Amino acid sequence: MTAKGAERAARLTAIVLALGLPVAALIARWAGWGAGRDSVIEIHGALAEAGGWAPADLTATVGEPLRLRLTSDDVMHGFAVGQSDWPAVDVAPGEVTETTITFNRPGKYVFYCTRWCGVNHWRMRGTIEVAGPTTSPAIESPPLYVTLGLDLDAPHPADVIPERRPSADRGAEPGATIPVEFSTGEYFRAHSPAEVWRALRASPASRELADAEVWDVVAFVWRSNSTPESLVEGKRIYAANCAACHGETGAGNGVMAASLASQLTAEFGHGATKPADFTDPAKMLGASPALLQGKIIRGGMGTGMPYWGPILTESQTWAVLSYLWTFVMD
Amino acid sequence: MTVALAATTIAFAPVPAATVTPVERHIRIEAKSFEYSPAVVTVNSGDRVTLELAATDVVHGLYLDGYDLNVTADPGQPARLTFIADRPGAFRFRCSVTCGPLHPFMIGKLNVGSNWLMLRAVGLAALGIVFVTQRCRGAGAQRNL
Amino acid sequence: MTRYDLTRLPLVEPLLRNRWPQFVTTSIALGGFVFAIIAGMVGTPVGSRNFGIVSVWIGWWALLMLIAVPFFGRGWCSICPLPAPGEWLQRGAVLGPSTGTGRRPGLGLRWPNRLRNIWLQNGAFAVIALLSVVVLTTPSVTAVVLAALLVLAVVMSLIFERRAFCRYLCPVGGFIGLYSQLAPIELRVKDPAVCACHTQKTCYTGNADGYGCPWQVFPGGLVKNTFCGLCVECLRTCPHDNIAINLRDFGADLSNPAGRRLDEAFKAFIMLGSAMAYSAVMLGPWGALKSAAYTVGSAAWVIYAAAFLVFIFVVLPGLFFTAVVVGRRLSQNLAENSTTKTRRPEGKRQAFIALSYALVPLGLAAWIAFSLSFVFANLSYLSAALSDPMGWGWNLFGTARVNWTPYLTQFVPILQTIVLVGGLIWAGATAQRIAEETSKMRSLPVIVFCLIVTLVLLGLLVG
Repeated sequence: MTAKGAERAARLTAIVLALGLPVAALIARWAGWGAGRDSVIEIHGALAEAGGWAPADLTATVGEPLRLRLTSDDVMHGFAVGQSDWPAVDVAPGEVTETTITFNRPGKYVFYCTRWCGVNHWRMRGTIEVAGPTTSPAIESPPLYVTLGLDLDAPHPADVIPERRPSADRGAEPGATIPVEFSTGEYFRAHSPAEVWRALRASPASRELADAEVWDVVAFVWRSNSTPESLVEGKRIYAANCAACHGETGAGNGVMAASLASQLTAEFGHGATKPADFTDPAKMLGASPALLQGKIIRGGMGTGMPYWGPILTESQTWAVLSYLWTFVMD
Repeated sequence: MTVALAATTIAFAPVPAATVTPVERHIRIEAKSFEYSPAVVTVNSGDRVTLELAATDVVHGLYLDGYDLNVTADPGQPARLTFIADRPGAFRFRCSVTCGPLHPFMIGKLNVGSNWLMLRAVGLAALGIVFVTQRCRGAGAQRNL
Repeated sequence: MTRYDLTRLPLVEPLLRNRWPQFVTTSIALGGFVFAIIAGMVGTPVGSRNFGIVSVWIGWWALLMLIAVPFFGRGWCSICPLPAPGEWLQRGAVLGPSTGTGRRPGLGLRWPNRLRNIWLQNGAFAVIALLSVVVLTTPSVTAVVLAALLVLAVVMSLIFERRAFCRYLCPVGGFIGLYSQLAPIELRVKDPAVCACHTQKTCYTGNADGYGCPWQVFPGGLVKNTFCGLCVECLRTCPHDNIAINLRDFGADLSNPAGRRLDEAFKAFIMLGSAMAYSAVMLGPWGALKSAAYTVGSAAWVIYAAAFLVFIFVVLPGLFFTAVVVGRRLSQNLAENSTTKTRRPEGKRQAFIALSYALVPLGLAAWIAFSLSFVFANLSYLSAALSDPMGWGWNLFGTARVNWTPYLTQFVPILQTIVLVGGLIWAGATAQRIAEETSKMRSLPVIVFCLIVTLVLLGLLVG
């Protein structure tokens, strides 16, 4: 080989070896290898402070699969679509999770982060606009608190507090028959435990019972309006979504409470509202299911309580509520 | 020769059995922004230890060196790790779920009984110094003669 | 001291003389280097899943600190891709020396005399050290640093002659050179008399078989590894086949009093101090310290940076100087009775510089021990990063989903103990030998200094 030929070969070698790998990688990326088809949308998750989901606004069509490649740019996140049955998937830092969703009904859906990623975790949300033939628009009934005209922000202390913790087990025993009007779902959801207690107390059916025993009956009414399955489901939803602020024991002292308080103070300047204490009988026994459901659906409006309306289905809200009352009643 | 014998003794002498009665221990460790709190946990050899990991900002994990145990916890959902601390020494525990830029440096320490490795290391270091200085003094003395 | 010339083995000499093996290896390394930059820029911002971070700070660093430097000294420099593009431009040839086009765009200036030392390297390392927690964990920052070094190397090659970047600026080259004195390998001439008679000095000027020494070293005068980049150009250019690559004792250069300098002594302090500081910051249990080191520009970081600089430039050298002074006092007190005082004013400085070389083995041991801590804990990231270098969901080798698994966590502390205690004994013996050179010194205080440093490191890493 001549000197010139050797040099030419060397230059070619240098270029191929030094640039071949990076260029091949970039071409592969642009050609979409790994990403696959163009219909795939790549979504990057990041802390809400760092921008949340990107892109955060998606469109889809009824009946057509929406293919997503999800990755996180910082910490562990999760992905789920609110008001739907699609299972949540983890979105791990620097890894890609693929998922495919097909919508049956048109509408505006919210996707959200399912793994706690800081005090602004709940702000990590995006929307999916699903277009499609609106043949039979689902009749959306307004939430119960709207129908009942409840003021969600009014204080609701119970005017009567039991001396001992009410127990549904004990309440199931006494021979007192529960008047039929108290057993209907509509009645139960519209009334607080304290109101039910007063009504029962006034009822001739419970004339024989002591006050505490009436409370046991109230606890029984509450249990009758839940199922073991809904309690399990409620407990799961609570642990995943509520416990970080409201605490594992419901006492309002979750691990996020401190940083939430400092953030609220910084944001609004006023003394921060603490996460609600579900072990406080005055609060819990003075609120009707409809009221608490309203708070969950609408959120706390400046208290740091997220709005869960677009995320939890109605049955999920009832499930988590049935679990909430186990903090004050057995 | 003496030095070699001493070094062998320091390096391999069997560890005396723990004299403290093992107890049950429950330790809650909070994990937040690349720090465990408490970051240093001390138990006695033989204790039955339950570490409760509570993440307080993002998802964290705890991998315990030497024991090869791992646990992860979401905020609001503390996770527990129960084991018998039957291996004495100092063991690092590290975050096992990527939790941000400093994740690889999120490290704490579990002390189980006495850290015999550290004691041996100090002994060997001291012996090494004695060895080095004596040898040279010997060499120097010989040269002076 | 026994030496064995490796070029006597079959194949070794032809493999070194031929320009292709080194050229191809360097080019492959350059490919990896460019790929690391690209990955850092366009890949996932998650460091532990980005090829740029993982390949450089786990893969390359492990190779460098655990294998290349201890066993091959400047072996890495011989295939380092950083100066390659600049050097190719400077030479007008990638293979050379007789294959080029003759066009040489560089100015070929001489490096200023005032800067013919490693203070710039000391400074460059200190600057990167202050930012290290960010550099180590942020792919884009690593990419910027790597790219900046590449550009700087090219610019330096075009302005100055030979490898001015490697010798005077490269933040890595400084400490590789320092610790290469310990390596069991060296490039030396076989017979200095041959060099003395050889008037052309082709090893420095170059000829048709190779370039004149890029490191501005005359091989015939080599007594230490520090500035020999093992590029083996001299082996190619020597018409008398007078260049040897010797296997030798570990640390052979330390017993040679020639070439001890203050800038290099400070390099030893900077490296030792950084290893101690990193062990505390990165591997310690103190989250506030980590955050301070990470939030570059914040008040906490300014305090951290100031403390870091004071520690490596003032506290550590200051304590060591005190130990040296005490050592001299001790020997004077002993000598007063017998001999007359021969106290020279410059003696302290010389003793300080000379004894600092005892910190070379101590420092390398510290760096190995420190590196062992995070290399084995995070080695498993390599599997994932090789299969999915950008975090784009690729799976080239089927290992993209390998979970993080720390390796050898039971044995790493034992290894660290052996390394640190070994380093201490080595440092102690070195201090003794250096002290004996003048016989006006007691090495004990310096050895105590080394002991304290070792105990601190043991406490941070093993305790």
